[in-house]
Amino acid sequence: MASALEQFVNTVRTLSSHGNFRELCEYLSKSSEVLVKNTQHLDNVLETLDIQQHSLGILTVLCAKFSAPATTGNNAQDNRFTQTQEFILNCNGEHIRLAPDTFAELCHLLTNYLVEQKQPLKGICILEKAISKLRLFDSQLTSIHADLCQLCVVAKCFKPALKLIDIDITGICQEQSYNTNGPQFDAKYFLLYYYYGGLVYLAVRNLERALYFFEVAITTPAHAVSHIMLEAYKKYILVSLLLHGKILLLPKYASQVVNRFIKPLSQPYHDLATAFTSNSSAELNAVLTRHTEVFTRDHNLGLVKQVSSVLYKKNIQRLTKTFLTLSLSDVASRVGLSSPSEAESHILQMIETRQIFATINQKDGMVIFRDEPEKFSGPEVLKGLEEQLQLCMDLDKQILSMDEEIQVNPQYVKKSTGFQEEEQPNKSTYAM
Amino acid sequence: MVMNNNIDKLAEDLEKQELEAPNGVATPQLYEQLLAIYLYQNDLCNAKYLWKRIPESVKTSAPELKNIWAVGQCMWRRDFPGIYKALNKVTWSDTVADIMKEVQESIRNRAVDLISQAYSSITIDTVCAMTGLTPDICIPACAEKGWSFEADTNMIHPVRQVVEPAGQTSSEDQLYKLTDFVSFLEN
Amino acid sequence: MPLFVASTMAQNAVEPMQVDAPPEDNDNNEEENYVVENPSLDLEVYANSYTGLAKLYRLIYIIDHCPSLRLEALKMAISYVMTTYNVNLYQVLHQKLAEVTTALNVPDVAAPSTSQDIPAIDNMWMETRSKKAALKLEKLDNDLKNYKSNSIKESIRRGHDDLGDHYLDCGDLSNALKCYSRARDYCTSGKHVVNMCLNVIKVSVYLQNWSHVLSYVSKAESTPDFCETQTKDSNQVIMTRLKCAAGLAELATKKYKSAAKHFLQANLDHCDFPELLSPNNVAMYGGLCALATFDRHELQKNVIFSSSFKLFLELEPQLRDIIFKFYESKYAQCLKLLDEIKDNLLLDMYIAPHISTLYMQIRNRALIQYFSPYLSADMHKMAEAFNRTVPALEDELMQLILEGQIQARIDSHNKILFAKDVDQRSTTFEKSLLIGKEYQRRTRMLILRAAVLKNKIHVKSPQRETGQAGDITIAPGTSTVLTARN
Repeated sequence: MASALEQFVNTVRTLSSHGNFRELCEYLSKSSEVLVKNTQHLDNVLETLDIQQHSLGILTVLCAKFSAPATTGNNAQDNRFTQTQEFILNCNGEHIRLAPDTFAELCHLLTNYLVEQKQPLKGICILEKAISKLRLFDSQLTSIHADLCQLCVVAKCFKPALKLIDIDITGICQEQSYNTNGPQFDAKYFLLYYYYGGLVYLAVRNLERALYFFEVAITTPAHAVSHIMLEAYKKYILVSLLLHGKILLLPKYASQVVNRFIKPLSQPYHDLATAFTSNSSAELNAVLTRHTEVFTRDHNLGLVKQVSSVLYKKNIQRLTKTFLTLSLSDVASRVGLSSPSEAESHILQMIETRQIFATINQKDGMVIFRDEPEKFSGPEVLKGLEEQLQLCMDLDKQILSMDEEIQVNPQYVKKSTGFQEEEQPNKSTYAM
Repeated sequence: MVMNNNIDKLAEDLEKQELEAPNGVATPQLYEQLLAIYLYQNDLCNAKYLWKRIPESVKTSAPELKNIWAVGQCMWRRDFPGIYKALNKVTWSDTVADIMKEVQESIRNRAVDLISQAYSSITIDTVCAMTGLTPDICIPACAEKGWSFEADTNMIHPVRQVVEPAGQTSSEDQLYKLTDFVSFLEN
Repeated sequence: MPLFVASTMAQNAVEPMQVDAPPEDNDNNEEENYVVENPSLDLEVYANSYTGLAKLYRLIYIIDHCPSLRLEALKMAISYVMTTYNVNLYQVLHQKLAEVTTALNVPDVAAPSTSQDIPAIDNMWMETRSKKAALKLEKLDNDLKNYKSNSIKESIRRGHDDLGDHYLDCGDLSNALKCYSRARDYCTSGKHVVNMCLNVIKVSVYLQNWSHVLSYVSKAESTPDFCETQTKDSNQVIMTRLKCAAGLAELATKKYKSAAKHFLQANLDHCDFPELLSPNNVAMYGGLCALATFDRHELQKNVIFSSSFKLFLELEPQLRDIIFKFYESKYAQCLKLLDEIKDNLLLDMYIAPHISTLYMQIRNRALIQYFSPYLSADMHKMAEAFNRTVPALEDELMQLILEGQIQARIDSHNKILFAKDVDQRSTTFEKSLLIGKEYQRRTRMLILRAAVLKNKIHVKSPQRETGQAGDITIAPGTSTVLTARN
């Protein structure tokens, strides 16, 4: 028993000192079984390895510790967290990037462990560090992103996640292992990242971004129905209603799966949307009561209720389009609110959030609706325009550089000059 | 306002400390301060989630947390009289007293802004309810802002404030940017 | 007239010719609504404008919808049907008559004179008529067989036509349609083809098969030597006839604007086809559709200054007044006149189902036009001009504003309608900012998607080995991105 571990330690040391990391990775991927069998001695193994020089070895050992059948001793559980924390904070970034799949796996294991332990908050800083070690540039997506978002959602602490998800992803970390031909990046973590990210944006009321995230999740290429996509679709409908008052059309490149399977599975949500577009609060509430069970089961009741309160606002906004002045009691009756004072509080709230522009006259009980005072003049506007233009230009540059990259891609050049190669049909199609 | 920057900075520090707290549970003082700051920033979402994630044990050991959140709940419901009542019903401990004073101040300022934006005439009672002040303080304060008071109808006529946008960019900087745009458009 | 009438009318109008249909249950309602009104229709004149089934169907429509004219219409219909071989319809009419007379006799004893006028059902006539019809059918059938054995094309064609005419006389529409269509194979000239089309169109109108009508109209119009071979006069007759048939079909399918355009091309001097429409119908249908769908300029050019349609309008002076009042912006009078002719129109089987829609469109158009020159308008005056209460007008206007038909806003406090001044500059700013945001969003999505495809991220069924299959399926996805990008 012990000899197997001794051999493990020796191999890790020699290969590391010779800088023979490729071989080391191969060796490590084969040795996890041995490690899992000898769980009780793994702490001794860790003591013999140096955190900087033998990062890969420690990584493998830690993974083995998590995947070992649960030990009953309290000690063992405690040091798994501290050891992992220590490792992630201090390991050698260059080394672990040679085994990104194992490193990500360790983070997934840690996440699950913390969620089970109901201590998600503890992992947030660690995973932030882990991501910064694994990714090569800021806008690169790793599968750890999904873990961090999950922890934030579970912990109800959203600010750390925002720092991450506010960066638009432009590249994806190739978490490819050396011995399998499996996927380079698991679609599951991709979907999870965009689903949890959407939830985070929902929580902080950034509906625009939430919609974007859910849309990404729904339009991911798919052959099969993923539950994550289904849930994302339901939320997409609700957010779309909140934001635009109707269901926005999905882009054409969305997978067939969405139309064929996901839409029929979300019928109650489509019913809700139909009722919403009819502008009748009564109808909407009827749908709401009819499907309450479904909405509750999907944990969407809160959002659905928001949708129903937004309808009042939408109807008030419609009034601002048609009326210059209106009495509060007329507002209440036209919108379907029970009293003028309720109408007043709705209007007041909408004025504060700048959804409408109006003045209430309590003396006569009237509301005067005004046009948006924004006149688009002054340096503020110029500054805003400049910022927007800058963003567009940056994006354009990015596209151009992507195009250039493809133009010089040998495979693309080969294909476009006429040599057809059947095996890699996807490369050439990136071109304009 | 000097307070403003300090508070934002303090909030960041507290958020960081919370994440680094052993076992994910921070001190009651930290929670109290952070919760109060979120209220001051009118960041009700984060305040709500903070309240939700504070462990039950901490909530029972530090009753002041509940008092702070009571203010937050009233803010969530936009119940102005409730807010002032919740603010003034207790004496705040030194940990949060300063911040809570600022909270009251900022809420009153927001209420005044809102009144001037949203009303062309408003009863004195509503003004009092929204500012948490008694009529005898309220009427002179309104007069000071140039809002006239009609005694026989008990109506106040607020005057809309025009927000003057400030900020200038140097012309050289603008020229540079314009060059950039033009070269972008031409390519 | 309450709206309710219009809706019940619409129900009945679904199949007004289905003479065998069981009597409607809501006859009572209609009686209540109809007895009072509708004094102006001269049934005799009206009926004399039509021949054949057109006359019968129109009379039946009146019988079904207007109790005060019911008896007179029934008598006319019965005496007319006796000139045809349509024994079935004769029976049906007598059945209706029986219903009316019993209803009359029970409560109303003070009308002995009418009961004497009422024709009794003549079984002898029915028997002999049926026999004659059968004999004639046999003869025509035999003739056709003979022609066929001699294979003289022209005779065969005529034989089919004659047979079709006879079936039509008997009221057997589907067989009539068959015979007329069969003549098609024996047409030797453009004239014959057009003739066949006209026959088919006639029967299709009776059957209310509007798509059939339209397709045969276009078939006739595209017959190659239709224009050259015909003498100018008969050509005009056919043209007018085709236009009117097309107009009728468009009207029935609610395409009011193109219906108007068709009717406006009719020529009064050649408008003689009582088995289809009367010139008065053309005037009324065309005029109302034009009023409901044309803008001011179109109305002026194509209706008011149209020399040919002017003649039609002379036939319907009320309608002419309505159109002129509308054009002169005297909306109150215009709408009042419209209300006056409404009852007569509701007895017209083809326009009745569309009256409420057309009237509403005319009203909306009037509202829009009324307000168009103003910056602000007093809603009290406006309500007066449109015979409406102010709140009702407010609702109407609100709908128009929401539909974007009027650029205005309502001051509900002072009841004034204000034109909305659109600030071009700010809307341009708003629009361009919006487009910029949209561009950013799409481009971000595109860059992300490129990365996704590059990394072959793909949701697959869990327990299946997907090696190469995954790679192949990525390609189509990529190509759609590209189209989105360009």
